Amino acid sequence: MAFDPSERDELRQKFEEFAKTHDPVLRDQLVTAHIGLAEYLARRFTNRGEPFDDLVQVASLGLLKAVDRFDPDRGLEFSTYATPTIVGELKRHFRDKGWAVRVPRRVQELHLRLASVVGTLSQNLGRSPTIGEIAQAASASEEDVLEAIEAGHAYRFTSLDAPSGNDDEGTLGAQLGEEDQALIDSENRATLSPLISRFPHREQMILHLRFFEGLTQSEIAARLGISQMHVSRLLARSLVQLRASAEDPA
Amino acid sequence: MTEDGEVRLEVPASPEFLRVARMMAAGVASRLGFTLDEVDDLRIAIDELCFCLVGRTGRPGTVAIRYLMRSDGLVVKGTGHFADRANEEPRLSPMSLQILRAVTDECQVEGGPDGPSFRLLKRRQA
Repeated sequence: MAFDPSERDELRQKFEEFAKTHDPVLRDQLVTAHIGLAEYLARRFTNRGEPFDDLVQVASLGLLKAVDRFDPDRGLEFSTYATPTIVGELKRHFRDKGWAVRVPRRVQELHLRLASVVGTLSQNLGRSPTIGEIAQAASASEEDVLEAIEAGHAYRFTSLDAPSGNDDEGTLGAQLGEEDQALIDSENRATLSPLISRFPHREQMILHLRFFEGLTQSEIAARLGISQMHVSRLLARSLVQLRASAEDPA
Repeated sequence: MTEDGEVRLEVPASPEFLRVARMMAAGVASRLGFTLDEVDDLRIAIDELCFCLVGRTGRPGTVAIRYLMRSDGLVVKGTGHFADRANEEPRLSPMSLQILRAVTDECQVEGGPDGPSFRLLKRRQA
């Protein structure tokens, strides 16, 4: 997002002129010049079950609002001014539209807060915190905490979700008898690797570490440098997709 | 801490109500002092077992679930009462088996005169 000094001056002039004239042509030019910022911020909201293109559209709306409201006379860089507006627009999108099940705002906001609460607690305790401990730290009831965790799993599963409509019993299990464990194990590896290999690299890693290596979600979070809540969400989403492909093994 | 208490729930065998069963499991486990990791494991296990019984889109009938609180953890038993194919033997896919082995301490599914059923045990860390 770095502009060279001459570009910067030119943009500043355009902003000053636009603030006076509200010329739509200038407005378009200003939006186009900063579209990279919208894309950059939209990218930070991927992995939440929403297509990147949709997110860019939402971010662009935020950018447009920022262009309209920016006052160049106050001496602020436009990107500094626009970032919170664009991020706000993205967050609102997830609050208003991204939740498949209506979740009260109070719970949504608790959900957003929980990632850091859980992170801090895990670090202090040296283990995964209990729900009671999380509730106390977040000044919320255990029910609210559970609801907020549940809410994190309620994102829409859009394009990645396999279409249903084929309800016959095409599960992998239907082909399996009750053979001894060793056979099932070897069969597992053969059957499961292609299923898992369809996932993005990070999801593959999480599935492998959790279900084959037996690491806990907290341990995986620490290893990958993301929050436990995020691991939990990615796992839940991957499992929904796995079940879909188990029913429709196309 | 409650020992040997029990919560019972019977819900329609469809995904939106099985979500209630999952949340109930989380609620009971929370009361028993489970950690967040353990609660998440339990949710995954309930999802997987309910999926085994009713598939992804549900089926006509109900699932009766019992949550048995024990001093060392939680036992969850579920029985499907289905209008269709009542006597079938439930089967776990290789993936489900692999998942359930990682997230539960004990787990089995079986057929029976009342319908297909599952049982899982999730222990609490000391």
